[in-house]
Amino acid sequence: MIETRNLCFSYLNSDGKQKSENPQLNRVNLKISAGEFVLVCGPTGSGKSTFLKTLNGLAPSFTGGVITGELLIDGRNLIGSEPYEFSHLVGYVNQQPEGAFVADIVLDEIVYGAEQLAVNKEKIAKDVDRLSKLMGLDMLLDKPVATLSGGQQQRVAIAAALIAGAKVLLLDEPTSALDLQGASEVLNLLRQLSQEEGVTVLLAEHRISRVIGVVDSVIVVHGDGSVTQGKPAEQFNDSRFAPPIIELGQKLGWKPLAITNQEANSLWRQAPAKYSEKLVNPPGELALKTSALEVRFGSVIAVQPTELNLYGNQITALMGENGSGKTSLCWAIQGSGPRYVGTVNTLSGDPKELSVQDRIGVVTMVPQRASDLLFLHSLADELQESDIFAKVPSGTTATLFQKLAGRIDTSTHPRDLSAGQQLALVLSLQLVKNAPVLILDEPTRGLDYSAKRALAAQLNALRSSDRCVLLATHDIEFVAMVADRVLVLKEGQIVADTIPVNVLGAGCELASQISEITNEPGLFTIEQVTN
Amino acid sequence: MLVVWVCREDAPWSKSIKFYLLLGSIVVTLRVIFRIVFNLADSKTDAFLNLPSISINLGFGNSFHLLGTVSNLSIQAALVDGCRLAAIILSIGMANSLANPRKLLRATPGALYEIATAISIAINLAPQIISSLKQVRRARGLRGHSKGTKSLTGIVIPVLEDAIEQSMQLAASMSARGFGRKGKRTRFQMLVARLSTFLTLTLLTVGIALLLFSPTDQFIYLAVILSGLVFAGITLKVSSTKSTRTNFIVQRWQLADAVVIVTGGLILFSAFTGVLA
Repeated sequence: MIETRNLCFSYLNSDGKQKSENPQLNRVNLKISAGEFVLVCGPTGSGKSTFLKTLNGLAPSFTGGVITGELLIDGRNLIGSEPYEFSHLVGYVNQQPEGAFVADIVLDEIVYGAEQLAVNKEKIAKDVDRLSKLMGLDMLLDKPVATLSGGQQQRVAIAAALIAGAKVLLLDEPTSALDLQGASEVLNLLRQLSQEEGVTVLLAEHRISRVIGVVDSVIVVHGDGSVTQGKPAEQFNDSRFAPPIIELGQKLGWKPLAITNQEANSLWRQAPAKYSEKLVNPPGELALKTSALEVRFGSVIAVQPTELNLYGNQITALMGENGSGKTSLCWAIQGSGPRYVGTVNTLSGDPKELSVQDRIGVVTMVPQRASDLLFLHSLADELQESDIFAKVPSGTTATLFQKLAGRIDTSTHPRDLSAGQQLALVLSLQLVKNAPVLILDEPTRGLDYSAKRALAAQLNALRSSDRCVLLATHDIEFVAMVADRVLVLKEGQIVADTIPVNVLGAGCELASQISEITNEPGLFTIEQVTN
Repeated sequence: MLVVWVCREDAPWSKSIKFYLLLGSIVVTLRVIFRIVFNLADSKTDAFLNLPSISINLGFGNSFHLLGTVSNLSIQAALVDGCRLAAIILSIGMANSLANPRKLLRATPGALYEIATAISIAINLAPQIISSLKQVRRARGLRGHSKGTKSLTGIVIPVLEDAIEQSMQLAASMSARGFGRKGKRTRFQMLVARLSTFLTLTLLTVGIALLLFSPTDQFIYLAVILSGLVFAGITLKVSSTKSTRTNFIVQRWQLADAVVIVTGGLILFSAFTGVLA
């Protein structure tokens, strides 16, 4: 279905010359057969998105750059073609469906692609009927897209990408903004598409623990221009992006590595390893206390009256489905978000009563859209400004950033960094401020496992200097790695406040992958396994 | 007005009618205040307001009067003037609140499709920029403030970049779904299209010129404008090669649409025939 021969792609320097020293893709030779379900992965910023975009002409058409070689899709060489010439063959779905919606009603959105290609009306009607049933959207066709949940929106985007008869579906991190349920909805659908409909699916993902068991093959974009293709078990020698199941297999010396939870489970039962109890840090001093804190938007109650104590020396994870009020609660605590009633007490008073400048010294926060905090023209400027602002020795922020994101050319414009790198930058800017309370809203989106480990180490260091960290996230594996305490929000109410094992352990709704594999009481992280 | 209030949909662009109403009333009030302050009519008859007059001698010609006696007639004239402006503003506002820009896009002829798309995206961008502005301002508070120009760029740059990124994302999504495909046209069709475009523009220009210079020769300018419009129709028809795009969703004619058209038509008719004037 897809074949590339010596496919090369490189961005241009600002002077219009080709960046020949490090091309994004260098002589890529791949063969993907029809109906194959392929996972595309690689370290943060390695160019997964770019790779996907070259397969439907968005790169270089929308990104700039130079492409050479051959790109055969369904037997036609489409190298250098405009994206619309791919549209009847290749469908494309990106991270944020709401930004890519053309119409405001579900049906209009789905048929857009077919209308553009002048498919006749009878065929469109038939395809809409078939696809909407397949995607479970038949009851939603007349609804405005903005009112749908994230998972439903992604399903609309997938239906819209396939309406014109595309045989290939490219998805760029379609589940990264979704909660567990939304993500598994989308994943099941993709598997069904490849197995039953014969659609070739290429899925770029960071949270691969739940994907790796269902794909046929894995393409790794290494970041140095090389791209390799192979069976899932062969592809994860690079621990930078190996999910827990692979780590477990490597730790216990399984050969071949297990890639589905069932395989791993039977291997584990044959020879269970010893494991230790996960120790959590006891609460330190009371850092923050909310009283009757409530958030409303119009008549909708986003956060029910909340009494919450947060302590130093602890990392508290705030979990819950999309729309359960995590972000509203974070902003309300930080003080600049709306509060209906209620107060927050810290050692320096209620952050809402403080000036913007003083607030930063009491509560720092990394918001979901980290890029909003970046406004200077180069990485070097951002890092320097941060050092000056936080009154720390020159180079402190840069060192921290390098720990999280690796070595990056400091003349790069912050907007040219990948989503993961931008997040790492904002994390560094905020961490050096060294406030007693740190709030992180979805800090692991777009980060690979090695960046997550670096972030975890950083948070651990903060914790040991008696800081209080509040972490709002969907990322179960990350919570398993760092949290001392887990809060679960449901419809604006805290329904669980407990140690991690009670939420992530075997048999729980939010069970971590290690819990699912081993099914051992009390074992939910890879570090606990001692063998 | 009532029609608009009932027929508008619950969407961001519909809420703009309040803004236009406010703007209209400001215009009327300003107009009346100006008339009272810069009172030029010196008639002492039918006084509406008797205010002390202030004379300012600018050193040449007559002295300049402010305030003074305001006649009923001048107030009436000011009100009518203000209402005229307000009516224009409101008409634009009402059209804006009634029309969903994306639905409008569906009804545009193929030749204008690209331009219409650009306009509809631009219209949709405005509310997006406002929400993005709020978000970025809040986020900036987390970073801490730099003084002076830096704090401004700190807000403007992310908002602009956001807007551009959003538009690029939308453009990429449209492109990936086949937007921008062009149908193949024969040389003859191209020739006809060019010729009729030329004729349309000429006829319309001449017709409007006639209307402005000698509005008495009704028959001539009407004929010229009408034939211009006919050619405009032909141009659009020829340029929109049908086969490149399907219109799957046909807008159904609803009662609300009929009411809007009938009331609008009535007003247009009465304006032309002078029933109300």
